[in-house]
Amino acid sequence: MRLYITVFFAGAILAGAAAYTSVFAHSGATGIVGERINHMKMLGDAVKQLTAMFAGQAPYDAGKVRDLASVVKDHGGATMTALFPEGSTEPPSEAKPEIWSDWQTFEALAEQLETFGAGLAAAAGNPRGGMPGGAGMLGQQGGMMGGSTMSQGMMGQGMMGTGGSSGVMPQHSAEALGQMPPDMVFGMITQTCSSCHTRFRAEKN
Amino acid sequence: MRRILAVFAALGIAGAAVLVALVAWPLDRGPATDETLVGDPARGAYLARASGCIGCHTDFANGGQPLAGGPPIKTGFGTFRAPNITTDKEHGIGDWSLGDFATAVRRGISPDGRPYYPAFPYEFYTKLSDLDVSDLYAAFQTVAPVARPASPQDIAFPFSFRPGLKLWRDWHFRPGRFAPDPSRGAEWNRGAFLVGGPGHCAACHTPRNLLGGLVTSEAYAGSRDLPGGDRSPPITPEALAESGWDEDAIVIGLRMGVTPEGDALGGTMGEVVRDSTSFLTDDDLNAIAVYLLNRGAEK
Repeated sequence: MRLYITVFFAGAILAGAAAYTSVFAHSGATGIVGERINHMKMLGDAVKQLTAMFAGQAPYDAGKVRDLASVVKDHGGATMTALFPEGSTEPPSEAKPEIWSDWQTFEALAEQLETFGAGLAAAAGNPRGGMPGGAGMLGQQGGMMGGSTMSQGMMGQGMMGTGGSSGVMPQHSAEALGQMPPDMVFGMITQTCSSCHTRFRAEKN
Repeated sequence: MRRILAVFAALGIAGAAVLVALVAWPLDRGPATDETLVGDPARGAYLARASGCIGCHTDFANGGQPLAGGPPIKTGFGTFRAPNITTDKEHGIGDWSLGDFATAVRRGISPDGRPYYPAFPYEFYTKLSDLDVSDLYAAFQTVAPVARPASPQDIAFPFSFRPGLKLWRDWHFRPGRFAPDPSRGAEWNRGAFLVGGPGHCAACHTPRNLLGGLVTSEAYAGSRDLPGGDRSPPITPEALAESGWDEDAIVIGLRMGVTPEGDALGGTMGEVVRDSTSFLTDDDLNAIAVYLLNRGAEK
């Protein structure tokens, strides 16, 4: 009888603990996982505000773009990678183990985010134009990938990585980025976010 | 004893008869496509982007050549690999006629008469018009040949018995061109075509039954069972409205891969944006948004 009661309570406590952690998926996360969830939230906030300006939903303010771009820069690079110590996959983490088996790519993407953030800060005041990826630059007249003449444009767009492999783009100095239209650099930032999430974040919704 | 043996013999003969019937069951190649239409490779290239050809048929992660064959897609039925569809005559589709191409894409039947696995979303591409396939065919003629042999499919038994697909087709495949809804506007219908045809969004955003058929009563309700173990969110009008995906957000999301919260779409959807939807015109993205938000709603 005592055994049954003990097992019952132990089970109830465990079930309660499991429910607690799953119900409070994002909020209530502690330790390094909680820290990086907040880190990502702040990045998301900055991207949200930048998107509104670049999509024409809010008036474009170069000073504001500069500030938000600096936030992006500060959240990339070593600040980002330090939040992912080996094996920190306890729930509610959505980090995939590939982060550690492919650390080089993960680190490269984090550094890319930092560089592009600095680049956007430098480019914030430049004349607007030219979203990268498919849209804007070549999307309208893009030929078949792999096609000879028609694809020249597409393949030549390689620096944007049309369908890039890991999403790691060729090295651009912050100065070079600072010469580009800010829309382009912002597009490179969002592509970096997406590349990392595609490869390294589990989509459990 | 004799009776038991007789029963087993009868069952064995019946089983063999079913297998023979499956093998012999003819595949309907459908009406011939109109070969008088002149395909436009530029329109075809755009349609190929909308249809996601490049994304599945190119192994980007391993530096694969465009359209020379895709990475492994792990499902509950086995591991699929999209084949080489470059103009290489031996390893690709270089020696396919327009008719071969049309039947493959819209009916899921190879030139030598074998049914394709529905991992190739021909149940959606069936909506393409004759002009669409002519355009696509013209665009595919411009793709550089790559002599990379197709990797064999790695399908678990009994799904590896291809004639079994004829049953699947009978139960789940409804061939037919896109038919606009006359009670809806042009923009809605364009969105309906893009989403239900080349975009094949339901392939990931609608749940599937045990046989891999779409559960159409739960259209766009999301899936928990995507290749690789990922999940897709619901994109019904209610679900979209609930999570802040209005028309602008959908257009921005599909063009730039950013969510209303500033998050970046990850998983396969990030690749869909990168390889497909980021190439669509603003008009088409708006049409998709209008359709998704007003699907089923009475006007």
